[in-house]
Amino acid sequence: MAGSELKIGTKVPGSTIIEVVISMIIILVVFSIAMMIYSNVTRSSLSAQKVKASAILREKLNYAEHNATGADETMSVGDFQVEQQIDPYSDTASHLLKVHLTAWDNNHQKVAELQKIIIRP
Amino acid sequence: MIKASALYIVIIIALVIAMLCASLVAVAYYFRAESQQKHRYEQLSDNLSSGINMLLTARDSAFEKEKTFSLFSGGNDSLTLQRAAWGVYDICTVKAFMQKDTLYKSFTIASQIDSSKWATLYVPDQDLPLSVSGKTVITGDAFLPKAGIQQVYIANNAYQGDKRIVTGKKMLSSKKLPPLDTLRLKRLSLYFNIKGDKFPANDSITASFLGLTKIFDFGNQATTVKNESLKGNILLHADTTLVIDSTASLENILIFAPTIVVKSGFKGNCQLFATDSISVGARCQFAYPSALGIIRSSKEKTSFQPKISLDTGSTLAGQIFSYQSAAKGLQPLITIGKADTIRGFIYSQGTLELKEKVVVGGGVMTSRFLYRSSFSLYENYLINVRLDASGLSPYYLTSPITPIASKKKKILQWLEAN
Repeated sequence: MAGSELKIGTKVPGSTIIEVVISMIIILVVFSIAMMIYSNVTRSSLSAQKVKASAILREKLNYAEHNATGADETMSVGDFQVEQQIDPYSDTASHLLKVHLTAWDNNHQKVAELQKIIIRP
Repeated sequence: MIKASALYIVIIIALVIAMLCASLVAVAYYFRAESQQKHRYEQLSDNLSSGINMLLTARDSAFEKEKTFSLFSGGNDSLTLQRAAWGVYDICTVKAFMQKDTLYKSFTIASQIDSSKWATLYVPDQDLPLSVSGKTVITGDAFLPKAGIQQVYIANNAYQGDKRIVTGKKMLSSKKLPPLDTLRLKRLSLYFNIKGDKFPANDSITASFLGLTKIFDFGNQATTVKNESLKGNILLHADTTLVIDSTASLENILIFAPTIVVKSGFKGNCQLFATDSISVGARCQFAYPSALGIIRSSKEKTSFQPKISLDTGSTLAGQIFSYQSAAKGLQPLITIGKADTIRGFIYSQGTLELKEKVVVGGGVMTSRFLYRSSFSLYENYLINVRLDASGLSPYYLTSPITPIASKKKKILQWLEAN
């Protein structure tokens, strides 16, 4: 040991090769399980993309509530394609419109969706 | 000296990693649950707003019975809507539910003012001019009789107001007052025959608008409501005089009785309806949206004049109206006391007496005015009163019962929500 003199005949504590191998196996197993859990957790959590898409749809909905013209349109906002569909809610309620907003990503996967009945501005 | 015990050290490290993993899983679980709940809440909130929009545009008769349906024919968009008359206004209830979560709101709705029918002053053309004297101010549009409006010297008062007399457009009125909504009046008059439970001996009663109306009946015994706090979905009914003491605290409740007496100093928010008379003492304060109404159907046989009277220094924000179905007989009288302030709308099918220094921030429709001096009565005279349309809040909503109501409805007051 550093700073002390090693005398012949004294016992130095140490792990056997079996102990070391078992330890390495345990550490490997534990780490692989931990990585698996970590990747599962990060994959299944709400993505920032979804949050962003929801916020964009909400902003579009607010705009439609005050300026809805009744026309369907598709617009590009950031990384998303936003599809806006405005239809009369029913034949009997002429003052009401049904607004259906959908956000699609670049792979044409649906990211977020919003529906609401609004009063015709 | 460090012991070379590799297995122990590995087990400790494994435990630490396991704890970190467990906490990571727990955090992810709660985060996911919370974000799902937030998403559900946002969806419920959108459905709730959709329901509110449906109620605001629905016909008067729609949703009288509670209706539950799917908003977009999906699985997660159930909605329950109900709309019921509450005095001269309507109360709506919306419930949106998804799995175990429910959002609800109850609120009062009322009509926007129809600008084509609105007037600060409406006096029908009954071949009698309207005379003004003293510091009378009329600001806003006015419908006047063909005989016009004139300045007069009366009771030692010369006219001291604006030379135009009416600061606004002058239009010709028709022979009759624009009518009140008789269908709603008929519905209101049914409450005079309603039966209910005995009034409990509680100090405070609160009833939710999500449940059934609590009806308390005082029967034929003249009663004074005092030291009580009544709030919400409560209707008081009496077959004789009902006295409201200044110590009573009333909020959003309805009262139906032949005669209602409100003691001086009362403060509250309520709708009072009587067949014979409503007498309000001095310095009373009725907060918006309050209403005082005389509803006299042809069934009432008594020969005396139905009357609403407010004593000096009282304020009311809302509506005051009188209605008598029979054209014959003594028409109802509304007397607004000295220095009273009314923010809202007064509709008098009979006579309206405005005492000196009365301020009406809003509009007045009456068949005729009355001015009473110590010695005589003057018909169609306005002396030292202020009728000012600009005194009305731009957010003021009127009852659908009034002729100035437009079809467009808005939310007047939020009552309950979660």
